[in-house]
Amino acid sequence: MSYLKDKSDSLQTAAKTIPASAWFFMSWLVLMTLIPFFIIVGMSFLERTEFGNIRFHFNFDNYLVTFNVVYLKVLLKTLWLALIATASCLVVGFPVAYYLAKQAGPMKQMGLILLFIPFWTNFILRIYGIVSLLGNNGLLNQMLLHYQIVDSPVRILYTRVGVYIGLIYNYLPFLVVPVYSALEKLDPTLREASFDLGAGRIQTFFKVVIPNIKEGVFVGSLFVFIPMLGEYVIPDLLGGAKEAFLGKVMVDQFFTMQNWPLGSAMATLLSVIMLFALILQNRWKKNSGEAHAA
Amino acid sequence: MQRRNRLVETIFWLVIAFLYLPLFYVIFQAFLVDPHNWKSGFTMMWIIKLFDSPSLWLPLGTSLEIAVISATLSVSLGTLGAVGLTPIAAMLPATFQTLIMLPILLPEVITGLSLLLFFLLLRMELGFWTVVIAHASFSASFVYFIMVEQIRKLDPQMNEAARDLGAKPNEVFWKVTLPNILPGVMGAWLLAFTLSFDDFLISFFTSGAGLTTLPLKIYSLMRIGVTPELNGLSFFMILISTFLVLILVSKEQSRKWVLKG
Repeated sequence: MSYLKDKSDSLQTAAKTIPASAWFFMSWLVLMTLIPFFIIVGMSFLERTEFGNIRFHFNFDNYLVTFNVVYLKVLLKTLWLALIATASCLVVGFPVAYYLAKQAGPMKQMGLILLFIPFWTNFILRIYGIVSLLGNNGLLNQMLLHYQIVDSPVRILYTRVGVYIGLIYNYLPFLVVPVYSALEKLDPTLREASFDLGAGRIQTFFKVVIPNIKEGVFVGSLFVFIPMLGEYVIPDLLGGAKEAFLGKVMVDQFFTMQNWPLGSAMATLLSVIMLFALILQNRWKKNSGEAHAA
Repeated sequence: MQRRNRLVETIFWLVIAFLYLPLFYVIFQAFLVDPHNWKSGFTMMWIIKLFDSPSLWLPLGTSLEIAVISATLSVSLGTLGAVGLTPIAAMLPATFQTLIMLPILLPEVITGLSLLLFFLLLRMELGFWTVVIAHASFSASFVYFIMVEQIRKLDPQMNEAARDLGAKPNEVFWKVTLPNILPGVMGAWLLAFTLSFDDFLISFFTSGAGLTTLPLKIYSLMRIGVTPELNGLSFFMILISTFLVLILVSKEQSRKWVLKG
């Protein structure tokens, strides 16, 4: 209790010290981010009538429905796909991060910039690029047909593989950065010490490098993994109609099924997982900060 | 040793190729006589045709208007916030920090859906202004963090000196603080502009039926299928986006944010 009281006291003092100019910004954040977010949370406890209206009747049914077999299956499928995509990003991203961390001088920054420029072109365009390459009429199939490697176009798009490629394409750099910064923080003398003590390169990698970066890499992976679960456009444009994906199922609750309370429950669950990852990250930062101080 | 490094380097360049290939092919495709045939020869016809067509100019205009207004709005809000909060940043409880980070951290789908519900419950008509507000709602926090860095670099004695010489708080802001952080303000504005211009998902949720930005137009054409018009529009969009990101990278204040995506 006293903790809560302290907390509200400190909030009050903070509120008093905030200068007038900052109030615009703070009110804007409360109005345009916090309140809409709580509308979603609140909506998840309401009920939908048969006619698609919302009834103000507080209940947890939407959360129970989320754990219904149908949605559970979607959830498991989505978790699995996102897990494989995150792992693939890690496998491909690690050498990239390693290469960048080893570079000296301007190439370091240039490499990072080179990696990120495609991500500042529009998201839809990146998806369209993948469609142009992998579609039935796409470059890949045109070439395969031209060189008579196949007789009929290979179907990659509108399957699970399409979603998988789309996920890797769009999330890869966001995993390179945390791995890169974990490698950067690694004290080079640690590796030297390991060599001096007679460890080989492989032994050093598994016994010195990996244990020292694993937490940073894990948290970085979470921040790729969680948004993947909520991905809507990638499964919509690259996946087939049959492929149910969590983010798509969630958005469809709002637009086609007209079941806002259920969609809100899914959105709330996703945000809670995200917040959980944030807490993990903070704890990790604090830990590594203390380790440095000591 | 040497061979291993060569391998890592090769993987790096292969990844870069993988990331750029789709975009380069989209550009290439815009000049093909038959977009479904890479050997069909080149033509400028589609691009020229597009210049006469309202399907380029209307969405482009809408996108630019939204980006300019929302960037200006978010820069005003974020800069005011940073000017007010930076001096007392150490005293702010973690709750405040989290609130400021929230628009950056929440998955875009959640931001879009929550704003959609918010607008619908307020019975606001979805369209131009809801998109402007929605864009400013996430970019204001980006602006805030850029501006905090700029203000930290300032010498606090400058403000004190101005006050000692009799300037009112308003005057201190307009005559001392603002001129000194102006390069930062411009960098932040460009970043907010780019975020808005490139945004698809938030616009998709908050635009309603009537409004079409350039990314929304590309999306709706994509659902129909590959057409020369789609290829032409994509070509223009890539040109503009690349131009914007190159400016962002060249500016010290915004470069860091480009790398965070």
